[in-house]
Amino acid sequence: MKITFPHMGSPLIYTKLFELLGHEVIVPPKPTQKTINLGVKYSPEFACFPLKVLLGTYLEAIEMGADTIVSSGGNGPCRAGYYGEVHQRLIRNMGLDIDFIIFDELKRDYKGFINKLKKLKGQHSWFDLYKIVKTAYKMAVSTDKVKKFIEHKRPYISDKKKLNKVKLAIEDQYREIKTEQDIVRVEEYAFKILKGLDIEEKTGAEKLKIGIVGEIYVVMESGINFNLAELLNDFGVEVEMSHYISEWIQENLIPFVSHEKEIMKKAEDYIETIIGGHAKQNVGHIVDYKERGFDGIVHLKPFGCLPELVTQSILDKISDDLDLPILSLSIDEQMATANVMTRIEAFIDMIKQKKYKRSSDHERHVFGY
Amino acid sequence: MKDMYLGIDIGSVSINVIAIDSKNEILFKSYCRNSGEPVEIVKEVLTDLQEKVKNRYNVKGVGVTGSGRQLIGYILGADVVKNEITAHATATIYYHPDVSTIFEIGGQDSKLIIVKDRIVTDFAMNTVCAAGTGSFLDHQAQRLGVKIEEFGELALTAERDVRIAGRCTVFAESDMISKQQYGFTKAEIIKGLSEALVRNYINNIVRGKKIKPVYVFQGGVAANVGIKAAFEKEIGSEVIIPEHFNVMGAIGIAIIARNYILKNETDTNFKGFAVTRDSFNTSTFTCSGCPNMCEVIKIQANGTTIAMTGDRCGKWSNSLKSSEDLLDTTTA
Ligand code: SF4
Repeated sequence: MKITFPHMGSPLIYTKLFELLGHEVIVPPKPTQKTINLGVKYSPEFACFPLKVLLGTYLEAIEMGADTIVSSGGNGPCRAGYYGEVHQRLIRNMGLDIDFIIFDELKRDYKGFINKLKKLKGQHSWFDLYKIVKTAYKMAVSTDKVKKFIEHKRPYISDKKKLNKVKLAIEDQYREIKTEQDIVRVEEYAFKILKGLDIEEKTGAEKLKIGIVGEIYVVMESGINFNLAELLNDFGVEVEMSHYISEWIQENLIPFVSHEKEIMKKAEDYIETIIGGHAKQNVGHIVDYKERGFDGIVHLKPFGCLPELVTQSILDKISDDLDLPILSLSIDEQMATANVMTRIEAFIDMIKQKKYKRSSDHERHVFGY
Repeated sequence: MKDMYLGIDIGSVSINVIAIDSKNEILFKSYCRNSGEPVEIVKEVLTDLQEKVKNRYNVKGVGVTGSGRQLIGYILGADVVKNEITAHATATIYYHPDVSTIFEIGGQDSKLIIVKDRIVTDFAMNTVCAAGTGSFLDHQAQRLGVKIEEFGELALTAERDVRIAGRCTVFAESDMISKQQYGFTKAEIIKGLSEALVRNYINNIVRGKKIKPVYVFQGGVAANVGIKAAFEKEIGSEVIIPEHFNVMGAIGIAIIARNYILKNETDTNFKGFAVTRDSFNTSTFTCSGCPNMCEVIKIQANGTTIAMTGDRCGKWSNSLKSSEDLLDTTTA
């Protein structure tokens, strides 16, 4: 088996998981314009945008030699649940003989789930499998910790190029991990070099924080969200995202653990029922960000995504109620970069002005400097 | 020599250049079509400007805005490079401090900017739909055989109302053709079209946001009295057209550049008028050096690479010994 999987955020975790299980892994490439073009070409026009980009990713990985695609299904009333099936058919219709292993919710199809696990675990014992999955999970938690640190501190690090090199070096270290002990060591190493960088933290009115919410794939995949987190960081803004891979694993794969309930509760005033995707969580996150003193929200909605379309329709009201600026961006292959940049920059100017409104040095800040 | 600040707005349809003095008074104003070669156009306008102000004014600061701002900013050595929403709002607030709502309709873009106490509090911008923009009007004027300058006045002479479907350019066009066959006059069709464009703007851009007076309408389309009338009819209130309605972005960015220089007490990065004699070339490529897959932009002047940008690790931008030094030698 030459396994590949969706590229969503960092491919490190899945790569590690399948490697430890002894499979050959074809690491899917980060989506670029080429991926998007490829996916759009072979997808139904009205499919949601992530389905198209993922198809593009699969086709690129297949070209690189992958013969098995591992992915998760979805749950709730959202089309993401059919992705696996649809991708499989699209790819088979193209005459490609590719194996699909799609994990649906454990409780929905217990037996099927176990069978798929058996296929992946190969010669390993169930205990080995448990240990390996745990290592991969620990690695996800660890890399997310590093990621969050960077999203908070990057705006205050003047040498961004050095930071990017450091990031690549840290990733290289994570790639070599074999055991849980290795993770501890690499994490220590990562924080040591990160904290060694020149960090000049801002305070008071000069500190700006933006929360990113939206459909999970477009939030997590920097290749198609214009590298939003870094972009905002470059404008001097701290960032936090509503989705991190380790949290996704916690919510979806680890029984009896859920941190989402609290967040969901905060959405009650605006969305009562779960309408699919992460609509309710996202609204909850917006309320949560406000409570935690954030200055603005960027909402990402892939074109054709119904749950996020619903969210978008109530954003004006939420923004009014909470006195919190929200910028909603729709993402698809038609999106012009210049247009997005203009809106993001104007949005940041706007929240800066708002924040400095009562500051004595108002004029100076109004113009962004 | 007196001080002068330049503001340049590189839009997709027009390129506007403004020079102001240290009191924000306008010294020079130019509005030209973007024929697809923005660098050449800017060079021409700057040459013209230099002729006009010869030895009387000294460039103290440069600001660039508009969708093509980055590249021109690099080439000229701009002090500020900023989005057109902030630039537009800055100019409007300067001339009309009591403004609450700014309607801005340009060639390809339409914007709504909401202001409270001289601060932008919300904005919206069209994304894909062009039915509410200047290019659409131009195209229809051409099709009807009416000069775009006379388009608006003609609308005011209409005797009857006719409703044109304005959600989409394609439907609007076919609807207009059929309404013409029903015997409506050109003036009536044009009035209907103006109202359709305003309805489209209200539905797509304003989208239920609360707007209130004072209303200011600017951008190239504000020249059209028919559209102004349609706006006033739709919102039931007076709409102000600022004196320099078609170059507000350029004025705004010039003011921002001026403020930046004065507040920070720094010297301009402007490369000087000599840049008008250089020839520039830009290209892009995707770097596959690491999983970042950066889109790298390369700018050349007279065949020499003067700048590389977009790389996240410094591999390309640091490969030039120092882009600053090189710029100096190529523009000397
Ligand atoms: S420019 Fe640097 S960071 Fe970007 S892809 Fe190339 S090697 Fe990676």
